[in-house]
Amino acid sequence: MSIDTHAEHDAHGGHDGGHHEPPEVVDGRQRMAIWLFIGGDIITTAALLFTYLYLRGVNTGGHWMSMLGYPGPQMAGGHTYAWYQNAASLADPTNVMVGKLAAGLNWTVTLLTVLSALIIWGAEKALRSSKNAKNYSMTCWVAVLVTVVAIVLSFKQLQSIPQIYVAVNDSQTMSYTTYDSSMMVIIGSAVVHLFLLAFLGVGLAIRSARGVINGDKWYQARLVRLFWVWVGVSAIVVSATTTFINVVH
Amino acid sequence: MTSTLEHVAHTEAPQGGGLARRQNIFTGFLGGVVFGWASWAIAHHVLDQSSRNFSDMVVLFLTFGWTVGFWLGIGALNGPGRWLIGRDHTRADDLYYAGENQGVKRYWKFCTDHKVVGVQYIVMTAVLLGAGGILAMAIRTELIVPGNHFVDQQVYNGFIAVHGMLMILALIVAVAGPWGNFVVPIMCGARDMAFPRLNALSLWTLVAAAGLLLTVLGVGSLTMGWVVLAPIADQAGIGMDFFAMAIIVFTVSTTVAGVNTICTVMTMRTKGMTLARLPIMVWSAIIAAALGLYAFPYFSLVEAQTLMDRVFNTSFFIASGGGTGWLQANLFWLMGHPEVYVILIPAVGALFEIASVMARKPVFSYRTAIAGMAGLAGLSMLVWAHHMFTTGWAPNLGGPFMLTTELISLPTGLFFLVIVGTLWRGNIWMKLPTVWLFGFIFNFIIAGVTGIYLSDIPIDNQLHGTMFVTAHFHYVFVGSVLFGAIAALCFWYPKVTGRYLDETMGRISFWLVFIGVQVTFGAMFISGMRGMPRRYSSYALLFEHTNFITTIGAYMIMAGMLVLLAAVVRCWSHGEASGPNPWQANSLEWLVPTPPPLENFDVLPVITEDPYNYGKELVRS
Amino acid sequence: MTDNKNKQSLKGMYWTWFVLTVIGVLISVWVPSYLMPKSMSDSMHLSILTIVIFSVAAAPVAAGVYAATLFALKHWVHKGEGVPEAAEPIRENNKVVAYWLIASTVLTVFLLIWGLGALAVDNGNTGNNPLVVNVTGQQWVWSFSYPGTSVESPTLVLPEGRTVVFHITSDDITHGFWIANMGVQVDANAGAITTLHVTPNALGNFNIRCTQFCGLNHAFMVTTGTVLSANDFNSWLQTQSQKA
Repeated sequence: MSIDTHAEHDAHGGHDGGHHEPPEVVDGRQRMAIWLFIGGDIITTAALLFTYLYLRGVNTGGHWMSMLGYPGPQMAGGHTYAWYQNAASLADPTNVMVGKLAAGLNWTVTLLTVLSALIIWGAEKALRSSKNAKNYSMTCWVAVLVTVVAIVLSFKQLQSIPQIYVAVNDSQTMSYTTYDSSMMVIIGSAVVHLFLLAFLGVGLAIRSARGVINGDKWYQARLVRLFWVWVGVSAIVVSATTTFINVVH
Repeated sequence: MTSTLEHVAHTEAPQGGGLARRQNIFTGFLGGVVFGWASWAIAHHVLDQSSRNFSDMVVLFLTFGWTVGFWLGIGALNGPGRWLIGRDHTRADDLYYAGENQGVKRYWKFCTDHKVVGVQYIVMTAVLLGAGGILAMAIRTELIVPGNHFVDQQVYNGFIAVHGMLMILALIVAVAGPWGNFVVPIMCGARDMAFPRLNALSLWTLVAAAGLLLTVLGVGSLTMGWVVLAPIADQAGIGMDFFAMAIIVFTVSTTVAGVNTICTVMTMRTKGMTLARLPIMVWSAIIAAALGLYAFPYFSLVEAQTLMDRVFNTSFFIASGGGTGWLQANLFWLMGHPEVYVILIPAVGALFEIASVMARKPVFSYRTAIAGMAGLAGLSMLVWAHHMFTTGWAPNLGGPFMLTTELISLPTGLFFLVIVGTLWRGNIWMKLPTVWLFGFIFNFIIAGVTGIYLSDIPIDNQLHGTMFVTAHFHYVFVGSVLFGAIAALCFWYPKVTGRYLDETMGRISFWLVFIGVQVTFGAMFISGMRGMPRRYSSYALLFEHTNFITTIGAYMIMAGMLVLLAAVVRCWSHGEASGPNPWQANSLEWLVPTPPPLENFDVLPVITEDPYNYGKELVRS
Repeated sequence: MTDNKNKQSLKGMYWTWFVLTVIGVLISVWVPSYLMPKSMSDSMHLSILTIVIFSVAAAPVAAGVYAATLFALKHWVHKGEGVPEAAEPIRENNKVVAYWLIASTVLTVFLLIWGLGALAVDNGNTGNNPLVVNVTGQQWVWSFSYPGTSVESPTLVLPEGRTVVFHITSDDITHGFWIANMGVQVDANAGAITTLHVTPNALGNFNIRCTQFCGLNHAFMVTTGTVLSANDFNSWLQTQSQKA
């Protein structure tokens, strides 16, 4: 490879031969990385929806929302695991139906996620126009708070997924139908994302309070916002799917 | 994972000094063991010990603790922690993490220098290949005669799964790990990878995953093959939980590495290094990285679901709860087929590079080479169900998937055209890398032709699930990818060490492995055609002779690999000195000193043409 | 040196190619039917035939690459010490790329058409009087039952010349039902029924092996079967019914 060593070689700025790059260059690179991570996350979300829709589609044995067994502890009028274990004279197991998860709670979490994304986005806009890092820091804490509420509600949602008590091959266990299983992995994935957002939000808040992020150095605020908004969008897509497509007719 | 990132910020010394400067692989293991043990103890306290899934739940805690503890101990979380509290690394910190003036010590550390990471990847590849190879020898020894009892049948079944997964991991990193890290940034004219800390993270995450995978051998009882077949995975012992967690942790490593590679090539190229002037190896690295980004999310999801079925009593793959093993097969192969090309493409890219340098000619039809690799990557996303022709899933889709699968022969055909075209009327320099290149050409034809049979449903209905399939993909992975990886090792070894790999030992190794591959997998083709299914721990007398021959061949391969290992170790310090550019090549990695200094270039070069004009006076910086 | 190379005759390569192709075709025609289990159905016959056809089609391509490689090894390897001088660069040759693409496309289209045709033949209708056999896999045995009768058997007995439709399922985990002499296989899944049909066309014994890894005794999940003439089959079915 021919190399023209006599040409201008401080192409990347700086007089030390390019050891230091200007923040715009670094930011462009980091944005590309964020978009690539989002790309990978899109595949994950698609795979989650594939799981959900596929299991609903095959509906093996008609068990998408039902299972042969006894109502689990979370079902209205149900009993505890121990109750079933101790009960000597159980009736024959029947096909227990489980209902859909409460759409209200589901959408509450989704809207909180979206709300936190909007807060972060708005805060970034304000930071870039008004250059007030203190306000930005405060707003980030609010977004984190909203995220934490969403996490708490998600755990509540996870707890409310109904289990069914089944006895298979002499082993007795609580078990989830495929609808419940899919919802569990979907909500679980959302929780992981929310934890990540909370971490990033806390980071933004502390960094802007310390002046590492400010009205002139706001690139990282945008990086985090890109990912945050994507998580909001994916929450809407997933919730819409699970709300409008669930029962097998 | 996230919660622990917060945790570290408060426990680790944020300044570059003190604790953070004492971290190395030993504190990593210490952290992993301590956190793993602590998680184990916590699990025993907080969990219901009467639960059927108690032991699986404990393993989940333990593996999570191990991974986080390892990250903490090695120092992988220092960066995120310092980001969190707004005390970013200074340039002095960055140079410290890059191992400035730390001598060989830096190879034992969370070192961000891409060249150190490259060497660490060489070692990891060797460890994984070695462990997988020992298992292969155990498997073949069990099969040397029918009804052998060299290893217990249950243990044997576990060996099959772990051998497969170790080798897959080894080959995923075999070219992209060492050379994607060591040479690709220099080829682009970059001072390091785009994200040096992520680069070190990907390497040490692989180490954490490998630790989990090797633990499986200690706890045993796997029953599901490397594809983690469901619902049988539900029957396996706790080894299965380690196995699935190892894969999930591994996908973190590959995702991070893939993003890093793409960003490096797309944003760190030096002035004048247009995309059309990139060495072809760089193209293969980013195409494989992009394909990995697409494929590996399926992998972590399907393993997470397998774990959930075992730990949380979900029913993804369990019929009585409405699930189906077909979901596992779909998700696994959505990952599984692209993954084959994540493995293959970097090896082919390296061989294009080697063919050009050794034949003293430009890569024949550079654009065709790129189109072939990109076409292969694109097509690979649409062929997954050919692994499921005989599962009974969606028989009506057989035709379409047969179509996409057979189209694969177009881009793979282009690889032959490019390699043969590059050698055509060249002045071929018969050195070690060239020898392995010719071995690759021979084997890859066999791999390709036997692949055509399996893409055809009427044939697949007979041969699927037999040793024929095993022999086919071993011709791909051993005969082709491993040959490419070894060629790449022989080619760039002088750049790493400043010394040649010994020609004589290298050729002895080549002939042992080359003949060994023909003997081993040639006989295995025959076993398969005669009707011997895969993953058998014993077999009928009908298959006696071919299995004996296969085992002998496998020993030859092992002998050859040991000779290679001896050569690599010995020549590292005692090999013949090579100088900075032993092959008289023109790409940038050969134009920097050997070993390349920290940050590679004093002054970033400006590029005026591609690296394939041999014989011209070079202007050196 | 470069000039010599350009004028160099490629005759040797063409001859090598021709010889290797002939060898390849001979191997293709002879080896599959020699190695593979005795064919007892049209599906098996079709499998073997397709392997032969594909091998014959692939032989000239493989032989071409090998011939070029061998020719390169013989004539283009640099002799003597030191770095070889640069060879004449050939960066592009659109004609060659186009020919190569056309040739491989034609071959691929041929493989596809043949494959789809063979698939259609394989999937052909089951006739008007198929025999239904229910197949159940469990760790690590197969059992076969004949609906409409009380017969259950650990080995599979089939009549010659009559299409058999298998309804396959599993009691536990996934198994692979494969009749090694008939070129048909499909997985046995818990909670689902998969089907398969085949028409035995030769009398004699055959092997059934599990092709999907199923745990400890996977290697021993084997059984045998017999194809009887239609009359023998009917009397077998009757005797078995009386026994049951």
